Amino acid sequence: MKLNFNKANITMSISILFVSMVLVAVLFIQYKTVEQVNETDIENLRDSELSELISTWKSKYEEVNDQLQETISKIYEYKEKIAANEEASELLDEELKKSNLLLGTTEVTGEGVVITLEDNKETHITASNLIELVNELWSAGAEAISINGVRVINTTEIVDVAGYILIKPKQRITSPYEVKAIGDQTYLTSTLCLKNSGFIDRYQNIGKTVSIEQQRNIKIPAYTDSIEIKYMQEVEEE
Amino acid sequence: MILIAIIVGCIVGALIGLFAPMVSYTYSGYLAIAIIAALDSVFGGILATLKKNFNLTIFITGFFGNAILAILLTLLGQKLNVDIYLAAIVVFVGRIFTNLAIIRRYYVDMVMKKIEDRKEKKETNNK
Repeated sequence: MKLNFNKANITMSISILFVSMVLVAVLFIQYKTVEQVNETDIENLRDSELSELISTWKSKYEEVNDQLQETISKIYEYKEKIAANEEASELLDEELKKSNLLLGTTEVTGEGVVITLEDNKETHITASNLIELVNELWSAGAEAISINGVRVINTTEIVDVAGYILIKPKQRITSPYEVKAIGDQTYLTSTLCLKNSGFIDRYQNIGKTVSIEQQRNIKIPAYTDSIEIKYMQEVEEE
Repeated sequence: MILIAIIVGCIVGALIGLFAPMVSYTYSGYLAIAIIAALDSVFGGILATLKKNFNLTIFITGFFGNAILAILLTLLGQKLNVDIYLAAIVVFVGRIFTNLAIIRRYYVDMVMKKIEDRKEKKETNNK
């Protein structure tokens, strides 16, 4: 090959050298890139396909995640409900029943004693006599008391009004007075029938007509009036 | 001299390519298109050389211009969500094939001519 060093030839040679250099360099770079990608085994997918896949999976994941969250919250809710139903509600129910029983808003039955007081020719039964009796019964462990079918609760007042005995509210009762009390039969009886100091003995000594009777099934009606609370409030504990 | 330039260019280019940093896979698609365009220019240049109307300016501008244009078109296609690079590949590779066919025919013709020339020479010598 002849080497002729004129200007045009040199320019052409340098240009072609440059061009071939660039071409081969880029070729090698590309080859290396493709090789590397194959090596690292990122699949031969195009970027768009990959991103599409990613977005699909992402949306699926989000969907499932949402469902999961929903289900978890539902389960939590149900669990709470169950707990509330089974424990708190039961406890509350029990508490409420107990409170109602103690308060006297329900009709109750049980073993106990019936004390009958009667006016006779010499003496009349007064309100204070009944109050004393009720007091003794409470102290003897009576759980529920009624006088002539009127439930006695903690706010019951018994007063003399113009020859009658009035039990709040508005119930006028007359002789014979039948006082029913539910409680431990033997304890009630023994407390009332103590010699000399017992209620029955004392009153009989004064000359009043008093009798006591044990009964298995005493029925005491509910307090019929509504109980209103206007002024008192529960003290909140901190 | 040009042959030497080509060989040296290839070796240096290979060395540069081997030690050059990797291109991220995202851009390798553009690079591939650019390579195809450049190859098309190279074959066009070879054909021009054979036809004796090779022009260096046209070759250089075609080489880089085609490559850059191919990259830009691919980019545009990506932005418009059209696979323009497919069209570029079809055009460039098709042209490479036609150029190759012309080059091949040129050499085949040349060889055939030589063989015929020899035959004629032998016949004339025999006579």
